[in-house]
Amino acid sequence: MPPEISDETLAFILARAGLEPTEAQKAELKKVYPHFAQMVERVRRPRGIMAEPAHTYGFAERDLR
Amino acid sequence: MSEIPTIAEAARLFAARRLSPVELTRACLDRIERLDGRLHAFVHPTPERALADARAAEAAIMKGEALGPLHGVPIGLKDIVDTRGIPTTCQSKILQDNIPEADAACAERLAAAGTVLMGKTTTHEFADGGPSFDLPQPPARNPWNPEHFTAGSSSGTGAAVAAGMILGGIGTDTGGSIRGPAALCGIAGLKPTYGLVSRAGVAPAAWSLDHIGPMAWTAEDCAIMLEALAGHDPRDPASAERPVPDYTAQLGRGIKGVRIGVIRHFHEADHPVGAAARRGIEEGAATLRELGAEIRDVKLSPLQDWVACGQLISLTERAAAYEEWARTRLHDFSARVQNRLMLGALVSGVDYVQASRRRRELRAELQGAMQGLDAILTAAAPNEAPKIEAVPIWDTFQPPNFTMPFNLVGYPAISVCSGFGELGLPVAVQFVGHPFDEPRLLAIADACEKASGHRARRPELAL
Repeated sequence: MPPEISDETLAFILARAGLEPTEAQKAELKKVYPHFAQMVERVRRPRGIMAEPAHTYGFAERDLR
Repeated sequence: MSEIPTIAEAARLFAARRLSPVELTRACLDRIERLDGRLHAFVHPTPERALADARAAEAAIMKGEALGPLHGVPIGLKDIVDTRGIPTTCQSKILQDNIPEADAACAERLAAAGTVLMGKTTTHEFADGGPSFDLPQPPARNPWNPEHFTAGSSSGTGAAVAAGMILGGIGTDTGGSIRGPAALCGIAGLKPTYGLVSRAGVAPAAWSLDHIGPMAWTAEDCAIMLEALAGHDPRDPASAERPVPDYTAQLGRGIKGVRIGVIRHFHEADHPVGAAARRGIEEGAATLRELGAEIRDVKLSPLQDWVACGQLISLTERAAAYEEWARTRLHDFSARVQNRLMLGALVSGVDYVQASRRRRELRAELQGAMQGLDAILTAAAPNEAPKIEAVPIWDTFQPPNFTMPFNLVGYPAISVCSGFGELGLPVAVQFVGHPFDEPRLLAIADACEKASGHRARRPELAL
């Protein structure tokens, strides 16, 4: 993930989410974006295709009643 | 009355007819009247309800019909907990007129145990961010020094318990919102195992990380409250179907032979803590050793990994929960919550799933590390409470907290006072147990707390 974000990309993502921040808020977001990108990189690692997420599930006994 | 009893002491005094619920409730109401203009621990006190509850409890106890150790005990409920007929605003402009038609499960259970409801306690908006000065009511302040922060988001419950306005209360914890305020306010706060206490009727912060739990002066009081709160509830999809043990049964029986791991790199390297917090951990470990526990070091992935994973999940689930209002009323949220909602929008679907995959790996890692251990000891907070104005607006990117790892895995964790720092404010340690092993976790915390003697000291303004 690139450590910076362009104005256009940021505007696109926020608009897709239906949010309407002020220009000052967009500037703030852009400023902190490198910290956010660093956070996202921390959960990425080479783990292969078989590593499952935490929210896959099994049926409990009560589901079968 | 000038002394502030614990819940356990109040129950004994009620049983011996040496204190009455009405007398205790009036003393707590007096403290609210005297202190809350400075502490802002309550967003909606309920004095009439409190006195009615207290009178009913007193009449029952006098007739020999006491329901248990919580009967007649003044408590508070965080203002994201639904209360029938009583405003539940989540400290938000958006819900200023919200009066629920039903009690949340935890409110129901505490009422059924005969508690006295003193009111709704201050929270960060929707249990997120804070402190915020752009909300309908001001943030809570720390009773040890009102210029300082309480941490959050169960800030009002933390302040109210420490100041003796209530003997116990409900907090909620998505990344540390019970244990953080417990640590900075010098009380005990338990985040139970995920699924042990029903979340029904409590506004969500992030569904897969949210926990409801007790906050009180001591670990013993948390055990008493948990006894009333735990149990299956079909209204909560994550609710566990398990028998509820006696959470006080192991208290006072000693901890000889208990095996405790210390995650030193969390507080020494990943996020170095202040001198008082470090001393609290070392003294806590020494106390446990004197009591017969075996102490060894434990190594996990860096704290930053745990917190990044938890933050991404938390931001995304919150953005989903509040999407409708974020789209239509973004600027009615506090500036801090707006920031977090916008960050949530930046997390892609793939990012969220990668965080979930990391979550599974981290959970396996903790499971492995806790083989052969009964509990883990780690920091609860990095230092004494900072000044309230000094809390940065983008606190998401501050050095990682010590509490989020155990929301991520759902393991039970409790914060207890471990001493006081140079400013006279409390510091704390955190104990973590195996899932559903709260009886042993509480016994360890209780033993450490009682051996340390820190429970003898209250904030001066409460006396």
